[in-house]
Amino acid sequence: MSDTVIINVDGNDYEVAAGSNLVDAAKWHAGNDIPVFCYHPKMEPVGMCRMCLVELGTPARDRATGEAMLNDDGSPQIRYFPKLQTACTTTVSDGMHIKTNTQEVIDARNDVLEFLLSSHPLDCPICDKGGECPLQNLTMRHGPQSSRMYFEDKQLLEKHYPLGDLIFLDRERCIQCARCVRFQDEVVGDDVLAFHERGRRLQIITNSDPGFDTYFSGNTTDICPVGALTTTDFRFGARPWELNEVPSISPWDATGENISLSMRLDRDFGGKALIKRVMPRQNERVNEIWISDKTRFGHHFTRSEDRLTQPMMRSGGVLRESNWSAVMAAMAGLLKDADGDIAAIAGSSMTNEDLWELRQLVEGLGGSRLGAWIPSHGGAEIVAEVGVGFGTNLGQLGRGDAILVIASDLEEEAPIWRLRLKQAQDRGAYLVVANARHTRLEDFAIQGARNDKVVEGDAIRYGAGEAVLIMRNLSADQPEIAERLSEAENLVIVAGAEGLTLSGGKALAQAAANFLIETGHIGRRNNGLLIPLPGANGMGLHYLGFTPDTTLDIMTNPPQVLIVAQAELLDDDPAARAWLSGVETIVYANFFDDGISALANYILPIQTFAERDGSFVNGERRVQRFYTAQGPIGQSLPAWKLFGGARQALGAGALQPSAAAVMRDLSADISEFEGISYKALAQVKREFPDVGGRDQYYGGTAYTNTGGLGIQIPCVSDTRKGRRTRQLERFDQPGAGEDEVLIMPVTRLYNRQRNFRPSLMLEPRVLTPYAIVNSDDAAALGISDGDIVEIRAGESNVRVQAALSDEIAAGAVALPRHLTEEAIPLTITAGSVSKVAEAVAAAT
Amino acid sequence: MHILLRGRDIDNIKQLDVYERHGGFAGMKKALAMTPAEVINVVKASGLRGRGGAGFPTGVKWSFIPQHEPVKFVTVNADESETGTFKDREIMEENPYQLIEGSLICAYAIQAKAVYIYLRGEFWDIGDQLDECIEALRAKGYIGANIMGSGYDCEVYTHLGAGAYICGEESALLNSLEGYLGQPRVRPPFPAQKGGGLYKEATVVNNVETLANVPYILNDGADAFKAIGTEQSAGNKIYCVSGHVKRPGNYELPMGTTFRELLYEHAGGPLHEERKFKAMLPSGGSGPIVPLTDEVLDTPMSYEDCANIGTIIGSASIIVMDETVDMTWVASKVTKFFKHESCGKCTPCREGTYWLDKVIDRILDGRGSPDDVTRIADVAENMAGTTLCALGDFAANPIIHTIRHFPDDFAQHVSAQGADG
Amino acid sequence: MAIIGNPKYEERIKSHLAKYETKRSAVMPLLYIAQEEYGWVNPDGISEVAEILNLDPTQVKSIAGFYTMYSEKPKGKYWLQVCTDLPCALQGADDFHAWLKDELGVEEGGTTKDEMFTVEHVMCLAACDKAPMLQCNFRYVENLDQDKMRGLLAKWRAEAANGRG
Ligand SMILES: Cc1cc2nc3c(=O)[nH]c(=O)nc-3n(C[C@H](O)[C@H](O)[C@H](O)COP(=O)(O)O)c2cc1C
Ligand code: SF4
Ligand code: FES
Repeated sequence: MSDTVIINVDGNDYEVAAGSNLVDAAKWHAGNDIPVFCYHPKMEPVGMCRMCLVELGTPARDRATGEAMLNDDGSPQIRYFPKLQTACTTTVSDGMHIKTNTQEVIDARNDVLEFLLSSHPLDCPICDKGGECPLQNLTMRHGPQSSRMYFEDKQLLEKHYPLGDLIFLDRERCIQCARCVRFQDEVVGDDVLAFHERGRRLQIITNSDPGFDTYFSGNTTDICPVGALTTTDFRFGARPWELNEVPSISPWDATGENISLSMRLDRDFGGKALIKRVMPRQNERVNEIWISDKTRFGHHFTRSEDRLTQPMMRSGGVLRESNWSAVMAAMAGLLKDADGDIAAIAGSSMTNEDLWELRQLVEGLGGSRLGAWIPSHGGAEIVAEVGVGFGTNLGQLGRGDAILVIASDLEEEAPIWRLRLKQAQDRGAYLVVANARHTRLEDFAIQGARNDKVVEGDAIRYGAGEAVLIMRNLSADQPEIAERLSEAENLVIVAGAEGLTLSGGKALAQAAANFLIETGHIGRRNNGLLIPLPGANGMGLHYLGFTPDTTLDIMTNPPQVLIVAQAELLDDDPAARAWLSGVETIVYANFFDDGISALANYILPIQTFAERDGSFVNGERRVQRFYTAQGPIGQSLPAWKLFGGARQALGAGALQPSAAAVMRDLSADISEFEGISYKALAQVKREFPDVGGRDQYYGGTAYTNTGGLGIQIPCVSDTRKGRRTRQLERFDQPGAGEDEVLIMPVTRLYNRQRNFRPSLMLEPRVLTPYAIVNSDDAAALGISDGDIVEIRAGESNVRVQAALSDEIAAGAVALPRHLTEEAIPLTITAGSVSKVAEAVAAAT
Repeated sequence: MHILLRGRDIDNIKQLDVYERHGGFAGMKKALAMTPAEVINVVKASGLRGRGGAGFPTGVKWSFIPQHEPVKFVTVNADESETGTFKDREIMEENPYQLIEGSLICAYAIQAKAVYIYLRGEFWDIGDQLDECIEALRAKGYIGANIMGSGYDCEVYTHLGAGAYICGEESALLNSLEGYLGQPRVRPPFPAQKGGGLYKEATVVNNVETLANVPYILNDGADAFKAIGTEQSAGNKIYCVSGHVKRPGNYELPMGTTFRELLYEHAGGPLHEERKFKAMLPSGGSGPIVPLTDEVLDTPMSYEDCANIGTIIGSASIIVMDETVDMTWVASKVTKFFKHESCGKCTPCREGTYWLDKVIDRILDGRGSPDDVTRIADVAENMAGTTLCALGDFAANPIIHTIRHFPDDFAQHVSAQGADG
Repeated sequence: MAIIGNPKYEERIKSHLAKYETKRSAVMPLLYIAQEEYGWVNPDGISEVAEILNLDPTQVKSIAGFYTMYSEKPKGKYWLQVCTDLPCALQGADDFHAWLKDELGVEEGGTTKDEMFTVEHVMCLAACDKAPMLQCNFRYVENLDQDKMRGLLAKWRAEAANGRG
């Protein structure tokens, strides 16, 4: 069978991909926008709304001979269906003819719109969707001139029905297209929305507890073709035409979701531009058209009242507000005096440009120690070698392919990867989830866990801290699973660091790499290693020379001067206060003060991703740039400018005028960035499916990508063929003494980190501090579900609620980070758990 | 002669031994001695057409099932919810084994793993009775592993619906049986195809009456069956007569019998001697209404002849109305039915039935204008042919055809201004 | 009251689960059991069915809402559903229905104060030759007239008083 077929649309022939959907094909190849409501290019067609009706014909064949029948002029005879057909449920076939411009089709569109409008409240002037509403747009184009329905006969329904904390439903506006229902079911795999009743009373409900509470719920408001679903964040916030869209990149995690910041000048914000909402921006290789709710709703820290706004320096033992020129001058002297005993620790969401200037500064002063924060996830250097191959698109994984996720809770660490990998499994990929405890993704890997779905998957449960052993011995201990992974056409391994030390994390990455190398799954598209490194620029840290090992070295041998940039050491590390006291001078640059002001000599305000431009490297090694959206808060500077300025003050070079110029320096020096410039990063090309644009009804309000698709850095195995198997790292196998358990810090997407707290609408969804304790262990310790327990490990000592589970290995306690005020261990540690109070009702 | 309503001729045929004594399972025995393909050919040759409404040739439907698929199912459509239909009920109440035997023969012919009998929820007692029959059959080796020593295995189960006419539509029925909303599916794939049937496996869906014919066809042969009825409509048909006749009820007669014979000879003519018949819905609420003229009365009840008078025989639920009946009221009754039963999945039916009902109510209340009558006719036309399943077409029929045939009945309700101008 | 762990339903639930290829298919029979236990499909019933079938409760609620024979509100002890569809109406079912509501002093869909009877009209029940008719707790009562109905109401009241019914 050939890859393409010829179809005829309104009299013209087009060559289209065989097997494609007629709506998609007509749009892509013929520029013919067949109107749709229920159809969505990312979901199975259901043919419900009837908006896409067309005249459809196929070449006639003689019944007896099967021969194509010809007209007198020799052209094939086309037999049209007697009734109009839904284009959205039609797959193209060779010789297919459609007519989209006949009176019958025009009337049908008009009729369907009239039917829809007969129940619609027509409250466009007060609707959030007004201006970018598919129903509104299609009515302008195809609709009736006036409604023949008596207004008083319309049903009155609830207008503000909360489906959860974040999403409201307007039942009058809903047109029953089921896009939201299908999104939750097909794309997310959490079927918490459904229809209730039938006929005209059909309406969307949720009866789950909690309600519509997934990490992806906001996407339903984009794909809703009317204003029926709105977010708590944006409801009545602004009219779409008042908004200015600025391309950006999510600052939260390694997936690098492409987003668009909808900006508006706001009276409450001193007449300056602020983010009214965050929307997805299409990048098919990265996030398609989806973003997580954290990315969508977590932007409020950018304008938080708690932001640092003034440079401060300590003099005479007291921190005082100052100004940049005074600070720069004072700092220059101090930095010089350090005599090279200077080091830096950089947070994992700093941009490449920031990191470059920070490195220039430190190295220019004779320092060499560049630490990456947090020092718990290793393996970036292994990703640089055998990461996913050049051109990888997780959206292409499917039947015949395999995925192993080990030691990571992807739903919490990198939601979009979890979304895309779950869909890969829906397409037939074999999914294995290995962890010391139950994670959400495991539900999808187990047969029949939900809804009797027959799935290709397996789960491996191992003892606390044993991930490396499991990975190393996979072939011997799990031969069937190992064989399916080995024989897969394409294999992606996602290796996290949960339940491991830093050296364990690196060893796991190496063991995973070895498996990939041995089974031939490297150096090719859709094969290789992924690590959900924390922050938006974990790979950038690596390429610019910032490593977690150096951080450990800094922690044990504190320098005279330490620059702490965009890293919350005190919030993250229970031991930090102690080792920081060994540092003479602390220069702290960040958005918020994490309490370090008590120790630091300089507190310097820097800008968030919203206020400046820059670039990140995502976990798939894609360099992506974001643009300046709002003005600075107070006197904050972009971090690169701060460090470049300091360097200039030291007389060690000139401050670059722009981030673009910094990138020029950087790419000239760092070989992996060769050829990367802001201009190159801004390049776009038409993507399939063709969402956004004029016809928002097709894909929803995800924006067309105008800011750039980014450039992927090849990994070593992409360019240098020939196998390289490295020795496994030595690593500490964590172990617990008698009467001890292993405390595994784990990640929760919603937590009490400083940059998350200001997004108040998410606050109710942050869990009361808890720890997951193995049920048998708990029984032995006399702990019941909900009891308050004290967990001691190293320097850390916290009180949390016990949540008992059979789904965690014995001897392990999972302790979510950043739910408590006190810092908890950075990596797995031996410790104790003991009951301090009887169960209390959960605070949530 | 009754082929289907044998409960009327033979006492206690709903007991297994009595059924067996009267030829029960002889057809099944014959079938098991043939290859599945041969069984399908016999049914094809008999000319049996589906009794669920559409009249699709049954043997042809069975032959669509891909033989190589390892798992296949038979689903018996016992949802019987069409207004005025009560024939499947009598078969199942009075002659249940014949239905099960027919289903098993079908199952064998397509090599199905199991038979599911989908009963409308109200048929609670019938379900219980069928369950008992199934147990009795299992005990005697007619159901289960190695049926009658043939090496063929098959299970039979009942499933109760819960009050939804749309679940009689075959793809909605399958959704309902799978535990999803009883809403129709997009076709293709059709139930007979992999991906389109029960649990996505190839599935035959047949009406109760259709399958109840099958033991006879196997036992007495395709020719015997074909000899009954007309050229294109073979066999007997059960006609459900209701409304203004003396003796409402089921009548099993050869296809091609005239309406006149059915209504006068069998059903006893008009309920009130002095009143004339005015109109008839020959296929419940869903088929076009026709005035009961002499021409119509003399029409043979067959698929082909009914088409000539602009209606369908469908499931043959014949609702008769005498001259006292206001057709606007009839249109309203039937519209309320479809509004109540619209599943809501597709726009024209969901919105259209709601809209039509509102406007007819206006008209009946005397608040309508002549424009409203044209409007509903137009709206009904717009629904027809654009919906996902045939319910939308059904719902358009009562409006379109009552207005077409009985314009005066509408005119009397409306004034030029309407009530509120 | 509960379905899960209730010996009364154990066998039935098991046999329903055994009938189908998927657990989900058993949602309809299980909703009937929930209705039997609680008198209507109440929130407890929904969550228990969801738990047994490993479904999200939203899915179960959705099914309960689609079908008219599951009641999502409490009903009287006797749930009387009068067919008033066209064939029955041609035989006087509308009048019979109106009379019955009057007799019991309830509106359409309403329940008598003593919570004994709920009256509503329904679409065709496949008993068109035996009109007027109704279904009482899903059991057919056919060929009715006012006298016969009065007798039945009295009989049901008596049964309820004796703790049967
Ligand atoms: C809205 C609708 C309701 C239907 N109801 C029934 C029904 O109650 N019983 C039935 O046998 N067929 C019904 N059908 C027809 C079925 O879809 C299907 O054609 C039939 O079961 C096939 O069986 P047959 O070939 O034996 O007739 C209905 C169709 C539609 C569109
Ligand atoms: S025509 Fe009516 S019943 Fe059929 S799918 Fe559409 S809404 Fe549902
Ligand atoms: S029916 Fe095709 S887009 Fe809705």
